[in-house]
Amino acid sequence: MLRMLVPVFLLLTLIGISVLSDRPAPRADLVFINSSEVNTLDPQRMSWMHDLRTARLLYQGLVQNDVLADDFAIIPAVAQSWDVSADGTTYTFHLRDDAKWSNGEPVTAEDFRYSWRRAMLPDLVSDYVNMFMNIQGAAAFYEWRQEQLSAFPDREFNSPADRQRGAYELWDQTKAKFDQLVAMHAPDPHTLVITLERPVPYFLELCAFAVFSPVYEPLVWQYERPNPTTARLIRKPGWTKPNVLISNGPFKLTQWRMKRDMRMEKNEYFWNKDAIAINSILMPSITDPNAGVLAYQTGALDWVADVTAPYRGDMVAQKLEFLEEHAEEVQRYRAQGLDQFTIDRLLPPDPRAHTHAVSSFGTYFYNFNCKPKLPDGQINPFADARVRRAFAMCVDKRSVADDVRRLGEPTASTLIPPGSIGGYTSPTGLPNIGDAKNQAERDAIIKQARELLIAADFPDDFIVEMAFNKDSGHDLIAQAIAKSWQKHLGVKTKLEQNEIKIFREDLKNKDYMTARAGWFGDYGDPTTFLNINYSTDGNNDRAYNNPVYDGLLDQAARELDPSKRMKLLHEAERILVEDDLPLIPIFHYATIYMFDPHKVTGLSTHPRTKQNAFLIDIMTDDIGPNKPKPMRHAVTGATTNGGTSP
Amino acid sequence: MMTLILRRLLALPLILIVIYTITLTLAWAVPGNPLENPEKRPKPEVIEQMNKQYNLDSFPRFYISYLKSATGVSYASDWLSGQIKREREMAITEGIPVPPRPIFDFGPSLKYDDQTVNEIIRDTLPVSVTLGASAILIALFIGVGAGVIGAVKPNSFADLSTLAISMIGISLPSFVIGTAMLLTFSLWLGWFPIAQWGTPKSIILPAFTLSLPFAAYIARLTRMGMIDALGADYIRTARAKGASEFSVLLKHALKNAFLPVLSFLGPATAMAMTGSFVIERVFTVPGMGEHFVNAVQNKDLFLIIGVVLVFATMLIMFNLIVDVLYKWIDPRIE
Repeated sequence: MLRMLVPVFLLLTLIGISVLSDRPAPRADLVFINSSEVNTLDPQRMSWMHDLRTARLLYQGLVQNDVLADDFAIIPAVAQSWDVSADGTTYTFHLRDDAKWSNGEPVTAEDFRYSWRRAMLPDLVSDYVNMFMNIQGAAAFYEWRQEQLSAFPDREFNSPADRQRGAYELWDQTKAKFDQLVAMHAPDPHTLVITLERPVPYFLELCAFAVFSPVYEPLVWQYERPNPTTARLIRKPGWTKPNVLISNGPFKLTQWRMKRDMRMEKNEYFWNKDAIAINSILMPSITDPNAGVLAYQTGALDWVADVTAPYRGDMVAQKLEFLEEHAEEVQRYRAQGLDQFTIDRLLPPDPRAHTHAVSSFGTYFYNFNCKPKLPDGQINPFADARVRRAFAMCVDKRSVADDVRRLGEPTASTLIPPGSIGGYTSPTGLPNIGDAKNQAERDAIIKQARELLIAADFPDDFIVEMAFNKDSGHDLIAQAIAKSWQKHLGVKTKLEQNEIKIFREDLKNKDYMTARAGWFGDYGDPTTFLNINYSTDGNNDRAYNNPVYDGLLDQAARELDPSKRMKLLHEAERILVEDDLPLIPIFHYATIYMFDPHKVTGLSTHPRTKQNAFLIDIMTDDIGPNKPKPMRHAVTGATTNGGTSP
Repeated sequence: MMTLILRRLLALPLILIVIYTITLTLAWAVPGNPLENPEKRPKPEVIEQMNKQYNLDSFPRFYISYLKSATGVSYASDWLSGQIKREREMAITEGIPVPPRPIFDFGPSLKYDDQTVNEIIRDTLPVSVTLGASAILIALFIGVGAGVIGAVKPNSFADLSTLAISMIGISLPSFVIGTAMLLTFSLWLGWFPIAQWGTPKSIILPAFTLSLPFAAYIARLTRMGMIDALGADYIRTARAKGASEFSVLLKHALKNAFLPVLSFLGPATAMAMTGSFVIERVFTVPGMGEHFVNAVQNKDLFLIIGVVLVFATMLIMFNLIVDVLYKWIDPRIE
């Protein structure tokens, strides 16, 4: 009998050991879900939105966006002021004296030179390496290093030890080459002078991007050594771990358990620490969309940064119902110019008001393959812009947004979300059946589209293939679009659903006819959207090639006058969405948040959707001023130089 | 006994190499590039270099290099050639801490930049083991209990209802039971926390959900074994000599009926302890199970092989433990 209990005892011991070895931490001041597990905390290697959001807590760049202001202006961060030369190519940043690393050491101009040099190395495979190529000499430096690395494996050495010495020598030469080639100089520890290849009007926007944050050289270098056989810097994980990482942002990392949680405490050395109204942040890793909503409802979370539960459409509908019940007040507050979170806070508390649809800096669209021939050799009817225009006009965008997505998203007639970039006016775009005011107008659009197809000699019985990846409801959107095309254009459609990897591969090889796509802007300038249609761009999945369009972008890149430049970019987008249509904009994304507007404040409603969680104040706790932080209206002008701290 | 253990342990590396070969071949055949971020694409020359660095451009080279680093051969050869010593000296001359280097290196994760596969397994395996052990424990109590009750009066109401419940346990998918339990006990009754792994309280719901299919299977095994045993001659003898019903059931009959359960426990424990994708998703348990699915979707080669090798090793080890226990509980077995 006792022997039978042996397995039971074995199991009990195992459980006992592991339960005892795990100690739960107290609840943090702010608990939020950061949509998905962080891939990396190395800012130069980042590209995911949730990684960048985390980076803004741990690191701080030269400048930052004022996310709580309507104009999203650039304001000081590590640099307390800056001068721009008259020709717009030389930037001189003056770093503040009190900017410190989390170990108390000062942040210097050399730290920025080191970190940006890291990003410019081919060794590091930074996704955003191109952004650094605006700096004079950066491209030459990249090429030089790349050539040296390609040649290194074939170089002769007497012994492995010699080869290793050779790799280190090459690294020393690389550092010297950087000093010689790249126009980034530090005349003193608090001055950084950068010269650009050509004027880049959005350069400060780039400097506010988390990839441009500094990292701490004495730490990082320990984990980044030249590989003895290839001479490449091999990046070993390890320096981004809790209690190892040294960073210069408002918070420091104290715990990171893979797939479990990440915890941060206020950085006592942060220059602006008194403005921070929370002492600790916990980001549990909850990947199941349903569990996230449930955990919020039990009060375990303060903010869900991206609700993806399948029933979120219903949540948004309930919120609209709630606003409808208070229609009069809402109307009045909107007329006063108040932002949506402030309006929610002024209304009586209601659980339905915890859902928020926030417009995002991204667009959902359909790609056309613009190559003259399809992969199977037959002539591609979509190479004809008239066909593309006809198809674009007959997508019922309204129905996709309202009946399929159900998140209150605006339909899109342009690639760039209108109103998201200051100083830029969006073109009108093509008429669309979804936005027609009445049946007559709708019929007229359909008639016009059919005539275009006839004029373009669109083949009868042609089957239009629509490619999309599994999940996220792309299938439902594809069905709705297919129905529109069948009904209004009389064409046959075929839906092709694939795993994301295969789908991406097909796009890259232009092995498709039409395919779903989406793009989120990285920085506050139209080029962040328009560049993906430049003929040689790596993200030009459409194989779109219009010399006029390319020419306008080139011309804009050389233009010094900001308003003339914006006009050129406007014309480029007009060609894109009114004449050529290599893509059909369908809707501009909304992100769904959950938080209690009476409790949480400091989140931005700006369509750039860049949240700085360190600005959050939990109004029900006893830390910070506990006063609401509504969106501020811009004071005209003062966006280029100086300014005040947040 | 010792020869059994020795023989099994000697076979272990051979089995693992076969599993490694099959897994790598299959994972290699998955289309797509593991280094590609789904939204933004690195330059082709960069991808080429990364491929070279991780040997992703050649199957044989990857096969050999991974085998060498995972088995510790790379470490041994670097140690013999003085490379490790050189690195250490270089670090000391520069006055920095010596970078850690594991002997058995399962490589980097291609998806999670900041983690090595060793770290991922180190962080997630203990969680899965705790959950799995708790689930098997619960399954044993429920399963054996239900089996015995059913066997005492076959086809009675008690028997049929335990049978029915075990059918439900086997056939209802765990995401349905899991979500129902989460709604009932966490959201409405508020007895258990949601999505906060770590406290003993947070283990109960996922462990119970995970235990159900195992419990159902154990119940049916016990019931069949008990019905067989209760009809045997030695039970009549036991009853005839005046042993109490309790003693007959638990001491004499269950001892024989437990053997099939024990042999089921080996693979069941290995399976429960390496994590369940669905349960981990529903209850937000930071375990290893999800990597079996996600690593394949991300084509994270190093991670796929890492978790499969861990699972294979555990499966073999638990089978060995069960065989040893088997022999010890029932000395008749050769």
